[in-house]
Amino acid sequence: MADNPIPLEVRNIKKRFGDTEVLKGLSLQARKGDVITLIGASGSGKSTFLRCMNLLEQPDEGDLIVHGETVQFKQTRHGREPADWKQVVRMRAKLSMVFQSFNLWAHMTLLENVIEAPIHVLGKSKKEAIEHGHTLLERVGLTERADAYPAQMSGGQQQRGAIARALAMDPEVMLFDEPTSALDPELVGDVLKVMHGLADEGRTMVVVTHEMGFARDVSSQVIYLHQGLVEEAGPPQDVLVNPTSPRLKQFLAPKY
Amino acid sequence: MEWFNALLAGNRIFTPNTIGFYWEGLVTTTQLVFLSLLVGLVLALPLAILRGSKHKWIKLPIYAFTYVFRGTPLLIQLYIIYYGVVFFDGIQETFLWPMLREAFYPALIAFTLNTAAYTTEIFHGAIKSTARGEIEAARAYGMSPGLTMRRIILPSAFRRALPAYGNEVIFMLHASAIASVVTLMDLTGAARFVYARYYAPFEAFLFAAAVYLCLTFAILFFFRYLEKRLLAHLRPQSG
Repeated sequence: MADNPIPLEVRNIKKRFGDTEVLKGLSLQARKGDVITLIGASGSGKSTFLRCMNLLEQPDEGDLIVHGETVQFKQTRHGREPADWKQVVRMRAKLSMVFQSFNLWAHMTLLENVIEAPIHVLGKSKKEAIEHGHTLLERVGLTERADAYPAQMSGGQQQRGAIARALAMDPEVMLFDEPTSALDPELVGDVLKVMHGLADEGRTMVVVTHEMGFARDVSSQVIYLHQGLVEEAGPPQDVLVNPTSPRLKQFLAPKY
Repeated sequence: MEWFNALLAGNRIFTPNTIGFYWEGLVTTTQLVFLSLLVGLVLALPLAILRGSKHKWIKLPIYAFTYVFRGTPLLIQLYIIYYGVVFFDGIQETFLWPMLREAFYPALIAFTLNTAAYTTEIFHGAIKSTARGEIEAARAYGMSPGLTMRRIILPSAFRRALPAYGNEVIFMLHASAIASVVTLMDLTGAARFVYARYYAPFEAFLFAAAVYLCLTFAILFFFRYLEKRLLAHLRPQSG
């Protein structure tokens, strides 16, 4: 374990949109098997922070180290940009993301969605990708929906399909951006169950979520963000059960 | 041929001779429309992609092209190319002249540019309306911009453009009738000839109209089939 590089490390990420500074210096270290949950009110910057980790948003400052490889940046007229897009592609292939609105490719069947990136980004053979794809669909309980198009599936099925698509990349780290927020309440359970299983098998995950139960049961570390800064961080029993910051106490207080 | 002659027996207008005219006209129309659509499509695809470029020196000339060709009547474009080409100094000495002297090639050029302009806009609109989230997912999964275009944006945009493009194909078929005004013996040209010869407007033009109708029907049928196959993902599940 010692000679294995840390899957994901971000240091002192800052990001501003126009005049508002949304991330004011955030760091995080995801070691192998860590499940880190990011919680916070809307506007706290948790989603932006997550999106900086695979450079869907370009951080203005800070370092990003994926599997021991530091992403290189350069300054341009338009701000800071990655110096080498090939490196970005390589690094993104190691981090797969699950989105709030699923973002499955609508013109492809579920199985095609799952095998697309392994074939065209990782260069796997089609046969191998299909075999692996079927295994993953079975794993998320969607064996029968392999040939269905996203529009023909429920939200919960789409999200579990999206998780299968993420798993197909054999990622170092999985990034979840509010994976259950767009789902009907009765569909949330199935998705959380799949994520629970992933955590149990030792997947490294960074999860932005509002599901406090999930954060409490599954995470190794909970980070509470407030206005672009870490307000409180630590193991769930400290942060969620015995919060010290008044703001976090208020955030966790039952709302009904 | 027995039955064919029997069919035409006692008919003053539709002799094997005039049917031959119509047949050649049909062949010319089909060639003209098919070739202009094919070349127009090949031109439109890169233009539609570049039309969405961030650089205004790429984007603006393409927009100017589509704006001019969509903003002026096809007949005027045809006149300009057919009558105007002579005035290019020295063109009569080039190898192009034997072609350009015929009505077919100027008509082909005018139709190609016209359909390229419309098709560019149809595809550009479809590309632009690709769901943001799907492009984002492609980026997040390590796809390069080129791969994203090829695997995600274009296949999805092509499907969305299909109904509008089907209309464009039918529009081009019907617009091709104006090629007859520059002496091209297309289907309409043949009908005009038959009309002038026998002074029988209804027979001459209704027959041509019926042939156009059949062609339109065939095109509709083809696109219906394509849509059924390629747009399956937009239909709610039937079972």
